[in-house]
Amino acid sequence: MQGWLSVLPALLVVLGIRGYPLAFGLLKSFTNWSGIGAGDYIGLANYIHIVTGSEFWVLLRNNLVILTFIPIQIFVGLLVAVLLYEEVFGWRFFRVVFYIPQIISSLVMGYLFTVFFSYSGPVNQILNNVGLGFLAREWFGSAGSAMAIILFCLVWINIGWQAMLGLGGLAAVSPSVFEAAQIDGAGFWRRFFSITLPMLGRTIEYSCIVSVIWVFTGIFPYIFAMTKGGPGYDTTTLDYMIYLKSFGAVSKPGYACALAMILLVIVMVFTVIQMRLSNRANDWGQ
Amino acid sequence: MIMHKKTLQKRLANALVFCLLAVLAVSFLYPVYFMAINAFKTKAEYRATPFALPSQLRLDNFNLLIGNFKILDSYWNTLQIALGSVALTITLAVFASYGFAKLPFKGRGAVYVAVVATMFIPAQVTMIPLYYLMSHLRVTNKLISVVLAYTATSLPGSILLMTTGFRGISDEMIEAATIDGAGYFAVVKNVILPMGVAVIAINIIFNFLSASNDLFTPMILLQKIDKRTIMVALSAIMSSRSADPAYQIAGLLLSALPSLAVYMLFNRFIVKGITVGSIK
Repeated sequence: MQGWLSVLPALLVVLGIRGYPLAFGLLKSFTNWSGIGAGDYIGLANYIHIVTGSEFWVLLRNNLVILTFIPIQIFVGLLVAVLLYEEVFGWRFFRVVFYIPQIISSLVMGYLFTVFFSYSGPVNQILNNVGLGFLAREWFGSAGSAMAIILFCLVWINIGWQAMLGLGGLAAVSPSVFEAAQIDGAGFWRRFFSITLPMLGRTIEYSCIVSVIWVFTGIFPYIFAMTKGGPGYDTTTLDYMIYLKSFGAVSKPGYACALAMILLVIVMVFTVIQMRLSNRANDWGQ
Repeated sequence: MIMHKKTLQKRLANALVFCLLAVLAVSFLYPVYFMAINAFKTKAEYRATPFALPSQLRLDNFNLLIGNFKILDSYWNTLQIALGSVALTITLAVFASYGFAKLPFKGRGAVYVAVVATMFIPAQVTMIPLYYLMSHLRVTNKLISVVLAYTATSLPGSILLMTTGFRGISDEMIEAATIDGAGYFAVVKNVILPMGVAVIAINIIFNFLSASNDLFTPMILLQKIDKRTIMVALSAIMSSRSADPAYQIAGLLLSALPSLAVYMLFNRFIVKGITVGSIK
C-alpha cells in the first residue's frame, strides 16, 4: 500500500501529461480535426494521404540521409576515445572540453553554424582571403551543401559524447589485451580495427541505437536554427514537419497527429530493437 | 640502447596524440572565444575584422539586449521554469523510485515499465494535444504549463536512474531505521536521501540543463513576449536581427553562458553522469 502511494503522484503526472495527450492524438489522427471543435471521423484517410503523397517520402529520405552521420561519429568519437585512453598530458582537461557542445543548448550550436556559414560570415571570408573564393557560396542555399553542413555539425557536436562512451567501454577492457597486441608488433590502425572496435561492440551497438532514435526525435533545434527545413523541403525531417503542420502557416492538426503517430511507431521499432539487442535498461545507472 | 629508442618513440607518439587532441580542443573552444570577442563589436567592425580582438570593449550590444530587449526577464522566466520543474521532478521521482526500489506491491514491475517506457515518446508526438490540453486548463502563456510539461518528460529518465541507484541501498539500513521507530517520511529523509545523494545530484544537474536549453516546449506553450524563455528570446533575436550579426552574437553568448557556468561548476559530476550512461 505504501508502495502504491509512493509511486502514485509520479504516475498521475505521467498519465495526465504524456498518456492522455498520446491517446487524444491517436484519436484525432483519424479525424479531419482543424484545432477547433472535434473534427469528423475520416478513418485512415490521413494515413493514406501521408503514405501516398510524395512529401512523406522526401521527409523519410532526409531522415535516412541524416542517419549517415552516425558511422562517422562512431569512428571519429572512438578514435578520440583511444587517444584519450593514452592519458597524455592534459587528457582530463580535453575530456571536459570535448563535451562542451553537449552542454551548450543545441539551439545555440545550430545558430553558431548559421553565423559561421552565412554568406558574409567567417567561413566565406577565410575562403576569399586564401584565394579559394570560388568555393565561397550561400551554404544553406542549396540542398547538397545545406545537408553537408548539418551532417558535419552533428558529427562535431557528438564527438565528445561518443568519446566518453568509448572511454567507458575501454575501461571495462583489460589493458593487458592492448599491451599484448603492441608486443606482437601490431600497428596503431591494426590494433584499432582488429582489437579496439570489436572489444567495444556493445558500446557501438548502444551508440547506434541511441543516435538513430535521436535523429528522429532530437535534431529539431539544429534544423530550426540552420535551415528551417529548406531549401524547399530538402532538409525537412519528420519531426520538423509535425511542427510545421501543427503550428506553422499550413496548420493541419489532424494530419499532424497522424504524422506524429507514424513517428512514434518508427521510434518504437528502434527502441524494441534496442531492448532485444541488449537488455540495457538493467545496466543503466550502475 | 634499444630501451632508449623505445622511450623516445613512446614520447614522440605521446606528443603526437597531445597535438591531435589539442587541435580538436581548439575547435571546441574557438566558437566560445569567437562569441566572446565579437559580442563587444559594432556590426561594421564585425564585418571588417571578425577574427580580431575588439578595438575597444563596447557594451552597446549588451545594453540593448538588457534595456530594449529585456533579456533579463527571459533569464528570470527560464530560471523559474528550470528550478520549478527540477524541484517537482526530483520530489516526485524520489518518492516513486523509493517505492519501485524498496516497497513491493502488486503490479510494481508493470507500472515501472509503463512509466519508464514513456521516456521513448518524443515530445513532438504529444505536443499538439498537450497544447490543447493546456489551453483547455487555461494555463498557456503561464510558466506552470512548461513546468508541468518538463516534469512529465523528465520523470521517467530520473525514475530509471534513481530506482537503479536506490536498489543499491542496503535493506538492513531501512529495517534498522524502521525498528528505531522511523515512519515512511523519516526513512526517506534519513536513509534514502543521504544514501542516494549522488544519483539525485546528477539528475538535478541534467534536468536543470535540459530545461534551460530547450526551445520547442516554451516556443509552443509561451507565446507572449513577457513570458518567453531565453531560448525563445534567442530565436527572436536570430530571426529578426540578421542585419546586425554582432548583436546576434552577443545574444548567442548570453544564451550560452548559464549552461557553461553550470558546467564549469559541476563538470566532475557531469562527466561521471555521462559515463553511467543513458543521457543524450
